[in-house]
Amino acid sequence: MNTMRTATNTSRREFLKSSAAGSAGLLLAFYLPAIGSTADASEQPFEPNAYIAIDPQGDIRLVVTRSEMGQGVRTALAMILAEELDADWSRVKIEQGDCDPQYGDMTTGGSMSIRSTWDPLRKAGASARDMLLTAAAQSWSVTKDECSATGGSVIEHKKTGRKTTYGQLAVKAASVPVPKDVPLKDPKDYRIVGTKRARVDGQHIVIGEAHYGIDAKVPGMLYAVVARPPVFGGKVKKFDATRALAVPGVKKVFEVPAVEMPPLFGEERKPDSGHQHYLWGGVAVVADSTWQAIAGRRALTIDWDNGPGAEESTEKQRATLTELLKTPGKELKKIGDPDASIASAVKTVEADYETPFLAHMTMEPVNCTASVRDGKCEVWAPTQNPNGMATALAGVLNLPQSALTIHITLIGGGFGRRLCIDYGVEAALISRSAGTPVKVIWTRDDDIRHDYYRPISHHRLRAGLDAQGQVTSWLHHIAAPSTDSTFLGGEVPDTGGTEIAGAGLPNGTVANYLLQQSFLHTTVPRGYWRAVDTNWNHFAVQCFIDEIAAATGKDPLALRRQLIATKQKPAGGSDNEGEAPVNVDRLLGVLNLVAEKSEWGKPLPTGRGRGIAGLYGFGSYVAHVAEVTVAKDGNLRVDRVVVAVDCGQVINPDLVAAQIEGGVVFGLTSALYDEITIQNGQVQQTNFDNYPMLRIADMPKVEVHLVPSHEPPGGIGEPGVPSTAPAVANAVFAATGKRLRRLPFQTQELAKS
Amino acid sequence: MNAISITVNGQQHSVEVSPDTPLLWVLRDTLGLTGTKFGCGHALCGACTVHVDGEATRSCTARISTVAGRSITTIEGLSADGQHPVQQAWLADQVPQCGYCQTGMIMTTAALLAKNSAPTDSDIDEALGGHICRCGTYQRIRQAVHQAAANHSALETAPTVPATAGGAR
Repeated sequence: MNTMRTATNTSRREFLKSSAAGSAGLLLAFYLPAIGSTADASEQPFEPNAYIAIDPQGDIRLVVTRSEMGQGVRTALAMILAEELDADWSRVKIEQGDCDPQYGDMTTGGSMSIRSTWDPLRKAGASARDMLLTAAAQSWSVTKDECSATGGSVIEHKKTGRKTTYGQLAVKAASVPVPKDVPLKDPKDYRIVGTKRARVDGQHIVIGEAHYGIDAKVPGMLYAVVARPPVFGGKVKKFDATRALAVPGVKKVFEVPAVEMPPLFGEERKPDSGHQHYLWGGVAVVADSTWQAIAGRRALTIDWDNGPGAEESTEKQRATLTELLKTPGKELKKIGDPDASIASAVKTVEADYETPFLAHMTMEPVNCTASVRDGKCEVWAPTQNPNGMATALAGVLNLPQSALTIHITLIGGGFGRRLCIDYGVEAALISRSAGTPVKVIWTRDDDIRHDYYRPISHHRLRAGLDAQGQVTSWLHHIAAPSTDSTFLGGEVPDTGGTEIAGAGLPNGTVANYLLQQSFLHTTVPRGYWRAVDTNWNHFAVQCFIDEIAAATGKDPLALRRQLIATKQKPAGGSDNEGEAPVNVDRLLGVLNLVAEKSEWGKPLPTGRGRGIAGLYGFGSYVAHVAEVTVAKDGNLRVDRVVVAVDCGQVINPDLVAAQIEGGVVFGLTSALYDEITIQNGQVQQTNFDNYPMLRIADMPKVEVHLVPSHEPPGGIGEPGVPSTAPAVANAVFAATGKRLRRLPFQTQELAKS
Repeated sequence: MNAISITVNGQQHSVEVSPDTPLLWVLRDTLGLTGTKFGCGHALCGACTVHVDGEATRSCTARISTVAGRSITTIEGLSADGQHPVQQAWLADQVPQCGYCQTGMIMTTAALLAKNSAPTDSDIDEALGGHICRCGTYQRIRQAVHQAAANHSALETAPTVPATAGGAR
């Protein structure tokens, strides 16, 4: 691959470079833009960051530079390439790229992987196909337009019936000039994109040969666990390792320093940032096996300096958030004159909502394996953020980036936890002190109590209506801690409301609109969680639309249709920074489809109800209808969730359905069960017994309906989550007339007295 | 530490570990069998499930001293080449997302089907109620268990292998 590094003097407009890889076959290097990159990169030097290789045996290799954590990115990227290449699908092999500056930004998050690679990957595939066609034409001494790729890595000369394969052409194709402006396929000719294909790593998973970060094996490796400060921001005062060192197999016990780390996405840290991304510090126990390390940790005596964080509790935080809503917050968005409008409204509706801190609880607990020796650092990291980890490692270890090797492993669930890179730096520091390769394992207790949490939030929503019951003003006040400061290192206050609603509802649908935020200052670390800010803002907004419908005697679906129909153009724009403006017809389309498929409006027996919620977010349109049964004792059962999805061009309908099914479960778990609570500055939850997950017996029937579309692909990992909780809350209201305004639902309120 | 003798996937091993060591860590750290996963350490999630004398057992809480001399099967020993009907059903229904919890799910399902060739939904709920999948694959798991039960009764027939590009790690 290094042969490609020489191609630096051309413009990115050229986008593609071929390598005369000689007998190795055809090697194409191309450029994938970074997440969120909008700048015109065409005048930048050509620095390829993605690779396709076709060898003389016909194997086609794609280096994947995103992290696989269950979303199916390896499979989907391979399918996009195979489509435009007209490749034999069974010969497309995936290779996970290590973190390398040549690959550019390798971050996996924000449901961006397909969105950011769809165009360049298709162009690369089409260009490679064109070069193979040229090579075939040359070898047969015919014109290229007489040759066609028939699929399955075969090129045919129709007139004579001659056929050849990509493998046979690979070496010759390497000497063909890279074409400019190769046409892409008409979607009607797709053979692979849009079809159900098995995921490329399924076989390894079912036989136990899929290797996650926690499965890393390095010669001479020892195992470590760390006793981290129980209170956020706490430090080791002193510790006694005598008993720990007496545990058989325990090799070393030492302190790990607490280290402030750089912002995750490469920005400069601002002095007043309230920046919360730090390495926890604590005492490491290094042993011959995980169990011995755990036993050694149990035998430690540690005196902690808890610091000011020990004063914090959920009770106090909730009281502060309630207070914060009483005075105006920072104005994030204003349209018209909301204060005057609501003051003169004929009718007003008002409601408060509340969501808690949440942990990620990936099934593969946080872990990392590192080997820091002889001025070099090698890590095996289940990470969504290899570039951020490289920056932090280089800084903390004082090593040049060239001394780092970061292997990106398969990930047993990410959901945003592994955008943080604390655990990678921690493992490297422990390996350096131990003088050997070390695998650092976080027990479940470590994982849940030292997470970067989805923030707690309170919301006050107010709407003003005119005499006809039309919504004329909408005021939304969010009180929450900053999340973005963890990642961007920006000033506080700086967060949150930028992703308000996510649905294009109600933002832009009412003439007078106000969004403001007040900030809770807390030592509890915050991070991105599946569906990012949308997962809490959307709950409040979608429940409140339902409350307005009830207050005005309207059907919740009808009110949504009405709000969408009055969408101000272009004032609404996108609710998500950097995304395309909401397409009213597509949003309406998924609401109508979900209504049809869920038999919206068809009467249900007493104690049962349907609720609806709809989202535009992450480039996709997704609407949910939940169907619930509430028993007399308040027991809530979610029977069925129908989801309509318009995510543009579907790459693999089965992967889309899987992400939506999983998104519903993720949303339901947060709606029904989970809350991280703080007492004396410490997380009180320890494991799945006091932080439960939805289990198989409570799994509702989930039906996913896809809107056929050839619009550019939208994201799909996250948009299945946010509408789940509000759809269920709205269904509970339909069933019982009672509102659930707090997550997780306080279902005891539903019991009939 | 005295050597403890265990039989894993038909092979006898003598391991020198403290008798309170959970089977999970012996499998993973001592024998290098990493298909069995660590999830919670308290028998709350099922990711570490193996068979001990055919019974689905949480290896994270099973002390090595209690399984000495007994026959242990891990995911690596469930079938020679992934041809067990449960594994095949898991592929046919494309159950796994991240896949981390799935080897435990598969082991419990295999133990269930060995005793109950036609489990009802409530049998499935009971058998798999101790398992957690954070990716939320439960709907497909249920479908795959029924599928595997159907395949199980036709065990001798060669199952279909779905198209896969393979090769990814």
